[in-house]
Amino acid sequence: MSGKSGWMWVSLGLACLLAVTIYFAAYYYEESDRYKRLYERAAADLKRLTMPVNILIDYGNGTRVWYNNTLVPRESTLLKATEIIAEVDYIIGEYGAFVTHINGVGGESNRYWIWYIWNSTENNWSWGPVACDRYILREEDTVAWKYEQF
Amino acid sequence: MFSTKKLSLIILMTAMSLTSSYAMIGIPNVNLMDLFVFISGYLMGAVPGVIVGVLTWLVYGTLNPLGFNLVVLAATCSGESLYGFVGGLAASLGLGADLPSMKVGDKMLWWVNLKFGIIGFFLTFVYDLFTNIISGLIVDIPPLIAIIQGIPFAIAHEVSNFFFFFFGCSALIISIKKLLKGGENL
Repeated sequence: MSGKSGWMWVSLGLACLLAVTIYFAAYYYEESDRYKRLYERAAADLKRLTMPVNILIDYGNGTRVWYNNTLVPRESTLLKATEIIAEVDYIIGEYGAFVTHINGVGGESNRYWIWYIWNSTENNWSWGPVACDRYILREEDTVAWKYEQF
Repeated sequence: MFSTKKLSLIILMTAMSLTSSYAMIGIPNVNLMDLFVFISGYLMGAVPGVIVGVLTWLVYGTLNPLGFNLVVLAATCSGESLYGFVGGLAASLGLGADLPSMKVGDKMLWWVNLKFGIIGFFLTFVYDLFTNIISGLIVDIPPLIAIIQGIPFAIAHEVSNFFFFFFGCSALIISIKKLLKGGENL
């Protein structure tokens, strides 16, 4: 092979690789764009079907964990929402569900899991008015589970 | 216009091109048609090469389980004829002129094969670009989108043709020339 002609063919070979690379780049760019659109549509659907709530779990030993902007299905009860963020044990009593353990914490004598809801007009925590499985959460509700001594 | 020998070879190459295409119809965009059309052009000249390309597509594009479209047929006929034309051009430029004297272990043979592979790749690149744009225009898709949507098929077509041309061109040229015994005078 003559030097000049050889380099020309090598360059053409590299141009072949470049063409394939450009193809792959364009293809994967298009694919990523498609998946981005699918993700955005799914996120919009999710937003329509879910709502954000803020949940605090106070283990009563100084450990307080916030689950802010937790997405829960609309019309969820507090019990359902809590089950999304933690492992919950409960018993069903006369007035509804009574939570006995959250994430394995509970069961001590005279200590119970009590739930509260943040009253934004009075800026304080109020006792939950009903059992957690009967309280339907609203968008942006802020609720707390506190493990308390009685 | 053409000698009987040349006419027979045109028909034979068209038949080979067609049968191989039908045999490989299950593999999208991978076939030996382009190689046979290129070889036809190389062995007989640009015009017979173009004829093999057009004849092949006239049959394959009409009797095709994937459907028939006159505009696509015109595009594929003209696209395919490019292989035949460039085949003739390659021969007249002396590409692989000393192939009959080369042996398998000869480094120069692989160098010539690489040249054929590269030519095959670029011809297919142009063919895919052209046919994808035409196909896109028929179904009212913007050319760029048509090209992007056709990328997986184009890659399969171009890469497979690179290898088919790389391994097939010199072998076929040598074999057919030997069979014809003096085929260079076609």
